[in-house]
Amino acid sequence: MIEEGIKECLEQLKKKGLTGDVYGIRSRILSYSIMNGEVSDSNEYEDMGLGIRVFKDGRVGFGYCAPGKEEIGVKRAIELTSLSPKTEMELPMGEKPPAVKTYDKKVERAMDDGIEIAQQMVDGASSVDDDILPSRGTLKIASGNVIVGNTKGLFYSQDGSIITGGVAATLPGEKTSLMASESSSSRKYDIDFEEVGIAAGERVVSMKDLAEIPGDKIPVILSPDAMGILIHFGLLPSFDGENVRKGKSVYEDRVGDEVAAGYIDLVEDPTSNWGLGSFPFDDEGVLSSPVSLISGGILDNFFYDLKEAVQSGTKSTANGVRPSFKSPPQIGSRNVMMSGEDIPREELFAGRTILVDNVMGAHTSSPASGDFSVVANPAWLVEDGIKKGRLEGLMISGNLPGSLHTMELGDDHKKIYDSIGSATINIELPSVKLKDVTISGK
Amino acid sequence: MEEKELIQSILQKGAQYCDIRKEKWHRKILYLKDGVPETVIQGEEEGAMTRVLYGDGWGYVGTADLSSLERSLERALSMAKNSDKLKKDRTGLAEVEPLQEKAVYPMKDSFLDVSPEEKLDFLQELETHLKSDIVRSTDLRYRDLLVEKEIITSEGTHVTMEIPRLVTYMIVTGKSDTVQMATEAIGGTGGFELSGEAFEKADILLDRLGALLEAKSPPSGKLPLVMDPHLTGVFSHEAFGHAAEGDLVSSGNSCLKGKIGEKVASEIVTIKDDPTMDGYGSFPFDDEGTRAKNRVLVKDGVLNDFILDRENAWKLNMEPNGGARAEDFRVKPLVRMSNTIMEAGDMVFDELIEDIDKGIYARSTSGGQVNTAQGTFQFNAQVAYLIENGEIGRPLRNVSFNGFTLETLQNIVGITKETGMGIGHCGKGQSASVTDGGGNTLISQVTVGGRE
Repeated sequence: MIEEGIKECLEQLKKKGLTGDVYGIRSRILSYSIMNGEVSDSNEYEDMGLGIRVFKDGRVGFGYCAPGKEEIGVKRAIELTSLSPKTEMELPMGEKPPAVKTYDKKVERAMDDGIEIAQQMVDGASSVDDDILPSRGTLKIASGNVIVGNTKGLFYSQDGSIITGGVAATLPGEKTSLMASESSSSRKYDIDFEEVGIAAGERVVSMKDLAEIPGDKIPVILSPDAMGILIHFGLLPSFDGENVRKGKSVYEDRVGDEVAAGYIDLVEDPTSNWGLGSFPFDDEGVLSSPVSLISGGILDNFFYDLKEAVQSGTKSTANGVRPSFKSPPQIGSRNVMMSGEDIPREELFAGRTILVDNVMGAHTSSPASGDFSVVANPAWLVEDGIKKGRLEGLMISGNLPGSLHTMELGDDHKKIYDSIGSATINIELPSVKLKDVTISGK
Repeated sequence: MEEKELIQSILQKGAQYCDIRKEKWHRKILYLKDGVPETVIQGEEEGAMTRVLYGDGWGYVGTADLSSLERSLERALSMAKNSDKLKKDRTGLAEVEPLQEKAVYPMKDSFLDVSPEEKLDFLQELETHLKSDIVRSTDLRYRDLLVEKEIITSEGTHVTMEIPRLVTYMIVTGKSDTVQMATEAIGGTGGFELSGEAFEKADILLDRLGALLEAKSPPSGKLPLVMDPHLTGVFSHEAFGHAAEGDLVSSGNSCLKGKIGEKVASEIVTIKDDPTMDGYGSFPFDDEGTRAKNRVLVKDGVLNDFILDRENAWKLNMEPNGGARAEDFRVKPLVRMSNTIMEAGDMVFDELIEDIDKGIYARSTSGGQVNTAQGTFQFNAQVAYLIENGEIGRPLRNVSFNGFTLETLQNIVGITKETGMGIGHCGKGQSASVTDGGGNTLISQVTVGGRE
């Protein structure tokens, strides 16, 4: 239905002598809620839609519609072309897309067993301590097909799948309840969800004892979950090519400069098999390839979609992303990976450190400067790798671009998948030790 | 088959309850970046959410294909049966009066009659207004949407409503020692007339950017905090409102569980959540077809009510008050806030700050987050000022606060007569349009996260 819809839209554009592209998606999403210690309900949605971008006299218009309503969708898009300025943007020609693994049939098959899979997280968390209540959680299983076609003959189609689950374990505490969560996501059905529940349970149990927030400056180790979400909101906006061109990035005019420690690499690689944001092409049909953002500490490149590439006099890096078929392409990260010279866990946790497992308020970080000031929760005082007690009411503040120069990387890489508001977060990274963070709350 | 017949056929198969929520969305979006039209979008979509309660299990199925309602209902029934097999807790729905009504939210100046060219002219005018030596870049985002909804339940409710919403976001960027960004939003439930307040807010935005460009990092530690009206609203929403959401209360995820009738805040605190007042979060019926009501959550410091849908009202043995909202037809309704307001006090601003030796005056916000089970919150001010010896001093940036909800509510020691409101979107897995507001509010002590 999507394929026919796209072909119909392109045919109509050609008949009118216009150029354009069409993005179509068909997806099936099942989600299961955990509330109050049990799987409370199941929710299914099948989505389909077409996003149509039309070029008329060098001007662009955008419309969207459901399959079967192509005529009105194309008409809406054409109507709006008069409002936009002229662009020299060129749509890509069709080539052979790279082979990227994004779809696992077993994920689709698991859709029928969703309640039992969600129950595994409940059972896992409950097995750790009789007093634990797996109070909230979600299991989401999704599969679908994305097609991008344009009037230059490009026509790409690829299936994708994802399974993601998380659970929060709650324990009654002295002053308030204690809560800790764990989540895991994969494009393959290879997650042990009972282990996810156990991890949440063990984490909340380790929150029972309190420690005092140190008054001195000591290193802070952020888990991949905590660092991934901070990077998304406080660092990646500075790699947006439009922000760079308009002076809204700390990396304006800095390509070739040392912007991080020499052992740090930051790569956007949507061609990595089973990457949570991997796909052989972006949402405007540009073929994916690895893009080095920082290599050996040196600033290399930024994110570009087709439109910004023209403005900035460069090529698209295949970072044209559509949050849904209702949105035109915009610059977005897809499958960012932070790596480099890592150090073993014992070394990372040597001496007195603070371990931060998650943060509250990462979305309030400044996208322009990378300044952040967030609540670290849960967080522990750690001595030589042993948790000495939970730190209550701890805040950590700092600047992410600045921290890149001195941070150290652990050896425990994790793929982070999250969504906050309209932002989808796909980052693979290890735990990170920050040495220049201000701590408060004592 | 008509919807009512479809619902009857599901009941005949053993379901206790069933409903259909049909929606049609009309959207127009225009972005103007640095004076150049960047994105212009128009589109419509329609679909339906079907819900079935069988035994103690729920099944929810959303579809964009209105011709497949029968299949969606059958699938929802099957999912509800599967869910029922593993359920231990009982599920029920508190009673509501079945309604057969239609509500059309008025637009004084319908945005449907305003051409895309006129909307673009409005953004161009606003952009010109924002031009200033300190502004490096402007990003203006206009969106209007009209949602038509029809809710049909197996208990005889059949309501239809039309809700128009309009919002314009203004983002300005400048640079001093570092790049700084300030944002503001205007809008509400209504028509194009809501655009009128954009220019006044644009002036406030320019002042804020100017302050940010001169600002320094704040001190860290425990300090008195004065929140401006918008931030007071965000505090009421984040720190308290989420904990008052019935689904979190009934599932053991709220620090307010079991505290109705108890003193949870200073006696000068009254907080309401009111979808019937003018605001960005207004609606006549909720997404279960229950009539919307004003909820007085805290009255004179005492916990008085929760925000409740039918299921959680049943679990808590309370009255439903129209608290169910869904982002769109793809998803099930959740318990959500609407227009959350801390009521005005009796002080003037100078009185509020006169006894503060060292503190923070925080204005507007970039958002916040809460852990309702632990009763902790974080929120951030767009810009702040140091208060020294009862006077407003130098500007501060990157200012965040955290604390324990119940402790902090008790630490509110002053609220001004002067009030204000701001609008935004709340995320709880789904997005919901909301208004937050109140007076300038003094909290005797919170933790400030600064870099000094």
